[in-house]
Amino acid sequence: MTTETLPLTRQDFVSNQTVRWCPGCGDYSILAQVQKTMPDIGFAREDIVFISGIGCSSRFPYYMNTYGIHSIHGRAPTLASGLAIARPDLSIWVVTGDGDGLSIGGNHMIHAIRRNINLNILLFNNRIYGLTKGQYSPTSRHGMVTKSSPMGSVEQPLNPIALALASEATFVARSIDAHTQHLGEVLLEAAHHVGTSFVEIYQNCVIFNPNEWIGLDDRRLRDENILYLKHGEPMIFGKNHDKGIRLNGFMPEVVQLGNGVSEDDLLVHDETSMQLAFIISSMEFPHFPAPMGVIRRVQKQTYTEGLMEQVKAAQAKKGVGDLYELYTSADLWTVTERETVKGKQTGALSLELDDEYMDEMEQKPEETTAMQDQLITPIATLQPRAPVSIDAAASLAKAIRQMNAHRVGCLLVTDKDDRLVGIFTEKDVLMRVVGLVDDLTAVPVANYMTPNPIALTTSLPIAQALYEMSIHGFRHVPLVDDDGRPEGIISFRDVVRRLKQNFN
Amino acid sequence: MSELEAQAEVEFEELESVVIRFAGDSGDGMQLTGTQFTNTSAVFGNDISTMPDFPAEIRAPAGTLAGVSGFQINISERDILTPGDAPEVLVTMNPAALKACLPELEHGGTIIVNTDAFTGANLKKAGYEENPLDNESLKNYQVIRIPLTTLNREALKDIEGIGNKEKDRSQNFFALGLAFWMFDRPMDTTLDWLKKKFAKRPEIYEANSRALQAGFNFGDTTRTFQHRYRIRPATLPPGTYRKVTGNEAVAMGLVTAAKKMGKPLFYGTYPITPASDILHALAPLRHFDVRTFQAEDEIAAMGSVIGAAFGGALAVTGTSGPGVALKSEAMNLAIMLELPMVIVNVQRGGPSTGLPTKTEQADLLQAMFGRNGESPIVVLAPQSPADCFDMAFEAARLAVRSMSPVILLSDGFLANSSEPWQIPDPEQIPAIPVNHPHGRDPHNGDAPYLPYERDPETGGRPWAIPGTPGLEHRIGGLSKAPRTGNVSYDPQHNEQMFFERRDKIARLVKAIPAQAVYGPKSGDLLVVSWGGTFGAVRSAVQRAQADGYSVAHAHVRYLNPFPANLRDLLSRYRRVLVPELNGGQLAFLLRGRFALNVQSYPKMQARPFKISEVYAKIVEVIGNR
Ligand code: SF4
Repeated sequence: MTTETLPLTRQDFVSNQTVRWCPGCGDYSILAQVQKTMPDIGFAREDIVFISGIGCSSRFPYYMNTYGIHSIHGRAPTLASGLAIARPDLSIWVVTGDGDGLSIGGNHMIHAIRRNINLNILLFNNRIYGLTKGQYSPTSRHGMVTKSSPMGSVEQPLNPIALALASEATFVARSIDAHTQHLGEVLLEAAHHVGTSFVEIYQNCVIFNPNEWIGLDDRRLRDENILYLKHGEPMIFGKNHDKGIRLNGFMPEVVQLGNGVSEDDLLVHDETSMQLAFIISSMEFPHFPAPMGVIRRVQKQTYTEGLMEQVKAAQAKKGVGDLYELYTSADLWTVTERETVKGKQTGALSLELDDEYMDEMEQKPEETTAMQDQLITPIATLQPRAPVSIDAAASLAKAIRQMNAHRVGCLLVTDKDDRLVGIFTEKDVLMRVVGLVDDLTAVPVANYMTPNPIALTTSLPIAQALYEMSIHGFRHVPLVDDDGRPEGIISFRDVVRRLKQNFN
Repeated sequence: MSELEAQAEVEFEELESVVIRFAGDSGDGMQLTGTQFTNTSAVFGNDISTMPDFPAEIRAPAGTLAGVSGFQINISERDILTPGDAPEVLVTMNPAALKACLPELEHGGTIIVNTDAFTGANLKKAGYEENPLDNESLKNYQVIRIPLTTLNREALKDIEGIGNKEKDRSQNFFALGLAFWMFDRPMDTTLDWLKKKFAKRPEIYEANSRALQAGFNFGDTTRTFQHRYRIRPATLPPGTYRKVTGNEAVAMGLVTAAKKMGKPLFYGTYPITPASDILHALAPLRHFDVRTFQAEDEIAAMGSVIGAAFGGALAVTGTSGPGVALKSEAMNLAIMLELPMVIVNVQRGGPSTGLPTKTEQADLLQAMFGRNGESPIVVLAPQSPADCFDMAFEAARLAVRSMSPVILLSDGFLANSSEPWQIPDPEQIPAIPVNHPHGRDPHNGDAPYLPYERDPETGGRPWAIPGTPGLEHRIGGLSKAPRTGNVSYDPQHNEQMFFERRDKIARLVKAIPAQAVYGPKSGDLLVVSWGGTFGAVRSAVQRAQADGYSVAHAHVRYLNPFPANLRDLLSRYRRVLVPELNGGQLAFLLRGRFALNVQSYPKMQARPFKISEVYAKIVEVIGNR
């Protein structure tokens, strides 16, 4: 698509806007490296887009002579995602900071990475809020004294690399503003990766947090303190290449080479190992050298690859969408001039709100056994026995006589309107009466019954009777009509007998 | 008695229209029953209007009032505009459904009850102290008692391979069959559907189709009913029709607009009731190059739409009021970037989580003003389910023309209601012209690209998209200088850019139709409404006109900008009445815009207006002169 004939140079990517960061800010060096890298990434200038949120770093797009959007706080990944889906042909760069990308925009960050949308995310980490003039950020160290934490921050910092890894990033790297050559190399690797490339760039805020990267951004000290990661090579560092990282159990440790420790004992970097990547992410300077370079790199299908494959597959199968077909994919009817009507059935039903109902309809039929069928038939089908009832005012003596006369172990006790008020069983006689009551004729059965017993109606399923029996340990369940008058009684034995028929 | 004799005794009664409600537990398949009845009636040629009413909780406890699921249908031989005020026939599957729907039933209406479901436990769950079938509480209605469960089981008893539980699930088809008999509808549409739906489950097909048949035969052979009813096919304009819900129509309107722009449709959204069905309708349309994106939240959905619009797609998001609240910051960015996009707000009852499944139109002022700073935006509102198609298309057209986000204010009622839709000829739908500026080469003497140079006619800015050489530019949310769009804090620039953004929306007046009025061109009363209340208000005005009142109706579909003639129109009537399902928001806008005395008629019950309510209000207002 390009109309430029000459190869592009850094200058082609410099916009006409005056750069307005504080003098000495690390952003200058990052801008220079990005501009220098652009001619080599294999995209025409018009196919490159920079998108940022809000913060010092977010002025970046204004200084790039490409397409660009300076959006709103934390949301750059969302705009970039929409753009990438609409335009999979572009090279899209998200420029963000530790506040923009990890605080207000943390949610978008993890989801953009998780979806593996083809973006290059550059996170400038200066561990402070610069634009709002010096409050602590989500990556500020515990105890850091800032304008909003005069007694030291009580918060724990977030580890951007570990966060990207936990989001299943396919490309994770780290570099630092001051090491321009290293930064340029990392940027190029990120550009070449297809999928989300996440690059943490240690960046120096000279105004509000100038000492954060001491030991790393100084040309004389950095080689001593930075572990340059190379795929397939042992983790050696130090100016004299005399130190290395060894694994001790699950923990990495720094070892001095020599004295019996050789390169063979060291960890070998493997960009495809998630486990190793997490170990690397845990190595914090100054307890460890600061790991820099590509920490993880694997190839996976990107979001847009997956989506556009679906578009292609759908078009191959159904043809490129036809509007008339879409409109008519429902039941149709035709009204002619003479106002007669002819219906025609096409397509499928479109409105199906009965999810619950439909789910059940589509379920594999439950293996309902004959037994289950029996259990949901109404109690009435057991042909319950007629109840033997007794008035609540009747004496104990009369109650016991009734039991004997009818040869039942259970009486239903009723009030003057014949409503069930209690149940009196053999068990009550044994437990509460025998040997405890002197004159059986003097006391009413009401005093010794179980009041307000659980009663069922005959239309309920047998299963419910069984349930009540097993929960409460009843041997009998009284049955009443809708007005609460005894209609019958069923015993555990009645139920068992019914179920037994099905076994035979 | 032979079947023939029995049938001969049942008389046919001709009806112009009837309102039927099917109601039961959410697990009883009432939406399906209602939909089948609707489809059959639509295919039969009746005009239809429907309103599903389902529980807010996905799995509300069975048998309780919270779990009642209803589906109301108005079928008619003439043009109908609403699902009907009050049902005249109520088919209830359990006591809870009876209890929930009875208050709305027409006096003297018919109730069909499944007596098998009126057991002690069910009555208790519905909160009935005593069985309403046994006392006087239903004496004003015609109650038809049917032991539906028993009859249905009996009819299905020799089907093998399924248990009683599955058999009971087809009870709704028994009820449907009975309704088909009562209203003299053919069963083929439903039988065909069942055959397709359960092609792989012959035993379920068998159970449902047999239940349907049994219900029909029950009506035919017993003497439970004295009447059957006939509603002749409606006299709709000639053409091919289908039934469409508002959400389906929005989806099809958007797909059409994208096609007519020659662009992919990007739909970035976060699931929310009652807008999610638009996503569900669009997601299967990959062959139309529809790119749906289910974002991580409402904000991300809005951001993604801005990104897609920058890339040149037809970019759309759909949500409901709470979602719009979250999107408002990004919507303001869209207003500053001046990119075309559509924001569909399917309004629901608010504030906060409010009444997610119920309808309301209380987001009008949110749409107009609910953002920081001066942020004019285009606002449209469809008037009926089928109109959702036209207005979704219109939203895309106006967005591209003005290079501005457009809010389409649908609502829960429109979204889920349905009506016949005359299928348009896609060839006859005009293209939406899209002009992306061509590439240029400043080194070869081409003038530098000015991102905010305005079209002299529309006031819109050019839509230069990535991939065009020489037009590389940066835009953002900061205040800008005119023409270049460079960041500028100059107070004059700030004011000029505000005027320019406002002006291009005002200029849309030339691109939208004048406000139509139904009824006399001047008189005692003009009723002004907007959105989903169209059917009820129009019907009420018709009734009042028939009764000799001097009343007209203007239904406003373009809310920002208003049609050019609206103010003049309003001033030609002695009174203006604005019925709205909110606290009086359009009335507020009209007063503010036109300094006219406007009478508000608010309703905040999260239910649509009834024709009778609006009619009564019209009579009251005119009577008060
Ligand atoms: S405040 Fe810090 S980060 Fe921001 S521009 Fe100044 S030095 Fe750079």
